[in-house]
Amino acid sequence: MRRPLIGLTAYAEQVQYGSNDLLAGMLPMTYVRAVHATGGRAVLITPDEPGTDVLESLDGIVFAGGNDIDPAYWGAERHPATEIDVARDTSELMLMRAALELDLPILGVCRGMQVMAVAAGGSLHQHLPDLIGSRRHQAAAGTDPLAADAAAYGRHDVVSKPGSMAHELLGARLTVNSFHHQAVDDPGRLAVTGWCPDDRVIEIIEDPDRAFVLGVQWHPERTADLRTFAALAEAAARRAGIAEPASLAA
Amino acid sequence: MRPIIGITTYVESASWLVWRDLPTALIPQAYVQAVTLAGGRAVLLPPDDLDADVLRTLDALVLSGGADLGPDLYGAQREPLTDSRPQRDAGEMLLARAALAADLPILGVCRGMQLLAVAAGGRLYQHLPDVVGHEKHRPAPGVYGEHQPSFVPGSRIAALMGDDLGVHCYHHQGVADAGTLAVTGRTADGVIEAVEDPARKFVLGVQWHPEVVTDQRLFGALVRAAG
Repeated sequence: MRRPLIGLTAYAEQVQYGSNDLLAGMLPMTYVRAVHATGGRAVLITPDEPGTDVLESLDGIVFAGGNDIDPAYWGAERHPATEIDVARDTSELMLMRAALELDLPILGVCRGMQVMAVAAGGSLHQHLPDLIGSRRHQAAAGTDPLAADAAAYGRHDVVSKPGSMAHELLGARLTVNSFHHQAVDDPGRLAVTGWCPDDRVIEIIEDPDRAFVLGVQWHPERTADLRTFAALAEAAARRAGIAEPASLAA
Repeated sequence: MRPIIGITTYVESASWLVWRDLPTALIPQAYVQAVTLAGGRAVLLPPDDLDADVLRTLDALVLSGGADLGPDLYGAQREPLTDSRPQRDAGEMLLARAALAADLPILGVCRGMQLLAVAAGGRLYQHLPDVVGHEKHRPAPGVYGEHQPSFVPGSRIAALMGDDLGVHCYHHQGVADAGTLAVTGRTADGVIEAVEDPARKFVLGVQWHPEVVTDQRLFGALVRAAG
């Protein structure tokens, strides 16, 4: 049975595993499992050679979490806490612009949502604690953000805009995890459809003029709530002209 | 559009930046660089044992190195030093068999060559030092063994390697029986270092690690076959 082919943007990062310490193309398995659990087939796309031809082979694409985006993309000075990866920025912004142009189903996760906003002409807040005076979006109370694991994620609610795709998909209000110190400031030509009720930080953006373009500021792949991935897979299956994919997990 | 070259990924508990010991799909970037330099577009294939459907979108396949194959793949009892990753095995065997059946160009590297041999009905030695009496194929953690295999005249690998026979080995297992594949390279101790299927468009397995020297002879040939 044919499954929609879902690309995931991956890191090229210095990584340690076993006795190895080397540069590797890599992505946490949580993303891969989220795609496979919702009926897609995952392939990873590393930022090695900026080029968009690979998009022609894909039915959908996930822009994954990671480091900060260079604020030069919206003409701002770099904040001391901003850490960038030039190769990744170049590759992903090119891919995002091309994917939007192709009307490819797109899910942006955390940094991926920020890439979406910047590609659509928007801008970011570079350090939320300066803006809102709180670390609620970054880390659970008492954790060391430099030794992160799943327990280190923050937690807060998100409320969605009635009539939006986010509202239809996720409901009026949900609780999400959180691990980001930056956020969307200006969404460019995209619509803002979800916020943190405590501080109005933008949590969901979408493009109502395209088949499926959704950005979420949290990490759904780290949770049991994979509705965002399921919706991407369904949109990708429709684009590919195949039957609705069977979810392998409820 | 460049040929799309799929590369199977490892699955390992990995640490990077602020993250510690997370299950990760990864591939040494050297593989990606080798494919890109040769003019291909690399996509990484994390393990998936549902089907081999992804091959439809690929022009060639690299079966990468990494952990040992589970001996259940060739019907053997596990020996003490075999260190496998069950998450990889079923999905990669599916891909290898389907790629052979589809006559897709395939390059098998280290574990990948062993996978080809097993897919072709062969089997492995689970610890070469027990067989050959030395550790020169994996001298020390992180240290490659440098060898100069002999290649069968007229074989694909002989033509590709030319006069520069130096290779970098890092393996403690080896092919005992290559099944229906032809053995086209060995080191002086008899260890199989290259296998081919001359009946197919491009099927080549090498026991060493060509990606550590970004070997354009091998990756270039794969990408040309894919184009």
